Amino acid sequence: MNATEKIWPWKILLAVILIFMAAGTWGAVKQIDYQWRWYRVPQYFFYLAEDAQKIPFDGIVTKVEKAGKTTTVTLTSESSEIVTVEVETEELRVSEGEELFEDDTVGFSSEWRLGPLMKGLWTTLWLSAIASVFALILGLVAGLAKVSKNYTLRGLAMIYVECIRGTPLLVQIFIAYFFLGTVFDLSRNVCGIGALALFAGAYVAEIVRAGIQAIPPGQTEAARSLGMTMPQTMMDIILPQAFKKILPPLSGQFISLIKDSSLVSVIAITDLTKSGREIITSTFATFEVWLVVAAMYLLVTSLLSQVVFYMERRLAVSD
Amino acid sequence: MIKAENVVKLFHGYGTTVRAVDGVSTEVERGEVVVVIGPSGSGKSTFLRCINGLEVFSEGHIIIDGVDLADKKTNINKVRMEVGMVFQQFNLFPHKTVLENLTLAQRRVRKRSKKVAEEKARALLEKVGIPEKAEEYPSRLSGGQQQRVAIARALAMEPKVMLFDEPTSALDPEMVGEVLDVMKQLAGEGMTMIVVTHEMGFAREVADRVLFMDEGKIVEVGTPEHFFTEPREERTKLFLKQVL
Repeated sequence: MNATEKIWPWKILLAVILIFMAAGTWGAVKQIDYQWRWYRVPQYFFYLAEDAQKIPFDGIVTKVEKAGKTTTVTLTSESSEIVTVEVETEELRVSEGEELFEDDTVGFSSEWRLGPLMKGLWTTLWLSAIASVFALILGLVAGLAKVSKNYTLRGLAMIYVECIRGTPLLVQIFIAYFFLGTVFDLSRNVCGIGALALFAGAYVAEIVRAGIQAIPPGQTEAARSLGMTMPQTMMDIILPQAFKKILPPLSGQFISLIKDSSLVSVIAITDLTKSGREIITSTFATFEVWLVVAAMYLLVTSLLSQVVFYMERRLAVSD
Repeated sequence: MIKAENVVKLFHGYGTTVRAVDGVSTEVERGEVVVVIGPSGSGKSTFLRCINGLEVFSEGHIIIDGVDLADKKTNINKVRMEVGMVFQQFNLFPHKTVLENLTLAQRRVRKRSKKVAEEKARALLEKVGIPEKAEEYPSRLSGGQQQRVAIARALAMEPKVMLFDEPTSALDPEMVGEVLDVMKQLAGEGMTMIVVTHEMGFAREVADRVLFMDEGKIVEVGTPEHFFTEPREERTKLFLKQVL
């Protein structure tokens, strides 16, 4: 590259291209006369839930204590049972000494709750996290089996990896749920996590194998020549070095897993994708919801990339 | 101490079989320094690697302190504890500091405590002349320093025999001396050593006996004086003419 070459014209070009693409999309959407309803989206992240507080028995309001925004109401039943209820002062529906019947509304209390998008995101995250842990264990075992001297172990690992990598994940999820799930009476979460873990595990196995084989044989020889056993050599010498090498492809695989987890929505696990679909059925805000869902996936995956980037730098001390 | 009887190592390639080591028999006494020389591909490194089981030989026997490596019941890890090896490419563990390189096998194999292992390691680093590098990673060391660490690492296991596989071949010329000095010091202390090398000066100065190998066979054996002044075999004469 020419040392004096300027970068700002290219930055401007990039901005212009992006603006053109955005404008083009905007223009195209205009053509079909779509009603944007962005204001309907935030409530699916968090919403203020109003709960009616009811009296659990026939009784009397014995005391009403107002303290700013909340009011504490003391209720006493005919058999002298005492219950206190907290409601919002503005939503208070009773006064002291009033007689009430069972299930009459004393007032309303409100509370911020997580909306379907946040719940879906949470499901996606824990589903992916558990699947990742199993995938890592499975991949490590299968990867070690692939470099093993034992023919049977090698064969098993090879069949596993080939079968999983040769079939689509969607089909595997269907098999896990409709076939294995039915035969072994497994819940949909177990099937979903199992399918994801098996799928990612096969790819992790190949990454692990490549990582181990990338360590020069001299390392094994040096360790063995000192009298270390093969398991000791693996644990102390080969795997720590291999891990450093495979961290980038491994993290890529786990980021993939988070994205692939959207497929479990087909077996009715309410993850982020399924939540998005459910919201659309009640709002018809198709464009907004899918864009928001995509942005949420993007946020998670880019945060993860940053974490991995940080770890890579930490591990680079001995280079 | 070490006795090799008719050792044969075959490598099987695509339809061809190479006799890398072809019927080598020799004996090494305690405290003896044996230098093995020969052209590339003569099987000298392969023979050396057979002695600590890095290569499994096809026929024959290698008996170290009365233990036969060809015996299936022999625990090779036990043998390797007593046979230290130094490699051409050093093979230090890059993810561990110099000190950890020296203590790891002591702790895992000799089951020494961290304190004892570190004392031993620091004493050996002192001996090879780089005590100040204990906390460094190998990549921060020069080739000569790395090879000296590798020698110290092997010595930390207190082996009865040290094998050197072309220890100076991967070094810059100016660093060869520092490694050879450590090896000479070791020889002077009475360590049993088998050294595969192209350093004829070292062979002449330190060796008790020189083996010349070619095409997997020992062609000629003798003291350095005999070897470098009046070699018997034509093949030896030819080789010495090339290298001296």
